[in-house]
Amino acid sequence: MTSGPALDAPPAEPKPATPAPVPRRRRAPIRARLRRDWPMLVMVLPGVLLLFVFHYLPMLGNVVAFQDYNPYLGDSPLRALLESPWVGLGNFQVLFADPAFWDAVWNTLSITAFQLVFFFPLPIALALVLNSVLSRRLRGFVQTVVYLPHFFSWVLVVTFFVQMLGGAGLLSQELRQAGITPPEIMTNPDTFLVLVTAEAVWKDLGWGTIVFLAALSTIDTHLYEASAVDGAGRWRRTWHITLPGLRPVIVLLLILRLGDALSVGFEQFLLQRDAVGRQAAEVLDTFVYHQSIATGDYGFGAAAGLFKAVVGLVLILVANRLAHAFGENGVYSRS
Amino acid sequence: MTTPASASVNRRTFLNLVGLGVAAAGTGGLLAGCGEKATQGGATQNLDKLAGLVPEHRPLALNIKPDVLSTRPVPDGYTTFPSALTDAITDQPGAGGQPIRAMTPVWGPAPPSGAKNAYLVAVNAELGTPVEFSVQDGMTYADKLGAVLGARDVPDLLCVPDWEVEKLPRFSDAVNALFEDLTPYLQGGNVAGYPMLATLPTGAWRNACWNDRLMAIPNPTDGPFPLALFYRKDLLDKLSLTYPRTIDELFEVGKQVTDPGKGVWAFDDIFQMVQMFHKAPGSKEGWRLRADGTPEHKYETPEFRQAVEFMIKVYRAGMVHPDLMASKGADAKQLLQGGKILFKQDGLGMWQPMQAEQQQVTKGFSVQPVPVFSATGGDPLVWGDDDPISYTFVKKGLGKARVEEILRVINWCSAPFGTEEFQLREFGAEGTHHRRAGGGPVKTELGFSEIQNQYFFISGRTPVLQPTPQTPTFVKEALAYSNAMVRFMEKDPWDGLKFEMPARFKAQVVPITDKITDILRGRRPIADLDVVVKEWRSSGGDEARELLGTALSDAGR
Repeated sequence: MTSGPALDAPPAEPKPATPAPVPRRRRAPIRARLRRDWPMLVMVLPGVLLLFVFHYLPMLGNVVAFQDYNPYLGDSPLRALLESPWVGLGNFQVLFADPAFWDAVWNTLSITAFQLVFFFPLPIALALVLNSVLSRRLRGFVQTVVYLPHFFSWVLVVTFFVQMLGGAGLLSQELRQAGITPPEIMTNPDTFLVLVTAEAVWKDLGWGTIVFLAALSTIDTHLYEASAVDGAGRWRRTWHITLPGLRPVIVLLLILRLGDALSVGFEQFLLQRDAVGRQAAEVLDTFVYHQSIATGDYGFGAAAGLFKAVVGLVLILVANRLAHAFGENGVYSRS
Repeated sequence: MTTPASASVNRRTFLNLVGLGVAAAGTGGLLAGCGEKATQGGATQNLDKLAGLVPEHRPLALNIKPDVLSTRPVPDGYTTFPSALTDAITDQPGAGGQPIRAMTPVWGPAPPSGAKNAYLVAVNAELGTPVEFSVQDGMTYADKLGAVLGARDVPDLLCVPDWEVEKLPRFSDAVNALFEDLTPYLQGGNVAGYPMLATLPTGAWRNACWNDRLMAIPNPTDGPFPLALFYRKDLLDKLSLTYPRTIDELFEVGKQVTDPGKGVWAFDDIFQMVQMFHKAPGSKEGWRLRADGTPEHKYETPEFRQAVEFMIKVYRAGMVHPDLMASKGADAKQLLQGGKILFKQDGLGMWQPMQAEQQQVTKGFSVQPVPVFSATGGDPLVWGDDDPISYTFVKKGLGKARVEEILRVINWCSAPFGTEEFQLREFGAEGTHHRRAGGGPVKTELGFSEIQNQYFFISGRTPVLQPTPQTPTFVKEALAYSNAMVRFMEKDPWDGLKFEMPARFKAQVVPITDKITDILRGRRPIADLDVVVKEWRSSGGDEARELLGTALSDAGR
């Protein structure tokens, strides 16, 4: 982790929008604040409870990363947790000494990097295009069509690609009819990166536009009108009004994506593993599945999961700090 | 009785798909330092020593005679239903207690549950104490089992298919912690209270022992062969071709039928069958003894290497359907049914249901197994074992009276072919789930949707091949094949020994399989096979060899 807390980066520029009219920094006593804020607190309570039960409580289970965890020790699952032998950093040592693990990490990171460049900007572009379509009916239709693949399972998406681009698929059959030997698209490890990205784009491009469309709808239309009056053309308006309006959302999603850098999906890779081989298709999640879940070595899997979480956390903190440095709000900021 | 057969014989394909294994790889010397990693060493159980634990075998005198007698472990067959059924159990088994919760696998669409399922209602009425099923997808059953066992939250009755056992880590520990020891209830003469259970073969009971105690009710196998190579006879006939009898003929016929322009390829992934044709060993998932008596894994044999070389040729010649090469989600059965592939490796359980269904779709549809041949001369070698299909475990700590009630329920469900209980369990209520036609019950549509082997998977019975009115020639054809093949069934040097392989051995199964797949598909040269085998040896293979070797000398063989 980085040496200092990353949270205290000062905002690069004072915000003119909030002129800070409150001169007194002293806070009201807690009872007064409770009386004032209790409806808000009640409203967040269910969410906090859910977080507690399904996120914070299970986090305690991370302790098995330091154990040779055997779920069948003692009389109850809790006893098993207490009685499993402590191995310190043993699981991590095995993990870090395993070249297959680093292969998986490398594959995962290259897929993330590739998709950051070739996938991440696409929903923004599509959202801009959609936003410029004036016919509501046409827009609704296009939106429905591009959202749909998001709800398909990976088995279906991969099958669709196989049927289109596979050796027995539409493209290959057409090429054969024309007397051309069809290229190997689905089984070529060298282009696998492009293939999985294409699949991901097809599946989630439309879905990814939702947030951007929502952000676009919040941009004040008066700004466009005013700039049009001032003689700004379409590109100028996009550059000076639309994109700055989207910037906070783009930065937010970018940071969140970075935090997820070590998750690139699971089923998609499991399904195509034999097609291109483990060298190309092994990602961190499939590695953990084969070496931990399928083998019941939960301690080992928890260690890999913890590694993933720590890397994700560091990336989020660093990215957030960078965002602050560029004057963005980022995922959160100090009040 | 369709799914269980396919279940029992599908195990190797299934293992192939999902990958099996247990516990992490400890990398020995690299572990020094501030932490240590415990490694599990594996375990052996000598089932011969358990003779005292198992129930006395007492066959049931029934007034029926099989039409086809078989060589064990192939079951006998019946081509007609018996005219009169025996009422084998007169007392109601249940004492009207709490419903018995059970978890069982199903392949295909899940049947309705509880009161919405007239079949369950009918059988539960007979039982006196209702059984409530939680039916889970058979393809992902191991995942569900892992979760249920790991959380120590098991139902009263849990079905564990035999081919899932080796995927379940620390399974002996789980059995010990979670399930009732049935030894005192069923040992020796104690089984007398459960006469149907007493009919089960002793070999099956021995396999139901863990930690040297009798821990489960076995569901004896109805077919010892894990795999066969099926072909579309109707389509080969149309091309005036016949099934291959040598390995060269297999390649030749594959070449002749492959026609990418028409969207037709010869094979699915037939590697397991190719190994069998080359006589690679299959005992205990791939072991045999060398001349000097030490265990040898198939990876180390020249036979396996030959099989790999042949399979590389098959892949290189483009005879395997591209869909199957591109995604694990592709459905090879569908391709065979649609005539897009002509050969498919699968369990024998695929045969009858596919024939029955597809002959209504495609006129003249005929699927048949290729008799196993030897690629290298001499007698062929056929993989097989008589391990049970599944085991039924009873939750620990339910109390003596309740366990006895549950065992009586299982006993009812275990009544064999020829009894009224079997008829109800298998075909449901007359008029609702089946009609009588042509001397036997014919399932209605409701029967097909509601009866999905629910009770079959919480019990066991002396297996038979029962008549299949839709496919009248099936029983004879299937038993002709099986009885011809059983002569060549591989002798398992470790017969009667049950193993839990060392953790490191299990952890390397998927990585090594991946590497061999790379070689088969031409991503790595064949020369790398030696390297891969060396890796396999050092990453757990030699440990497993030692376990198997020691087990034999301990058993005095």
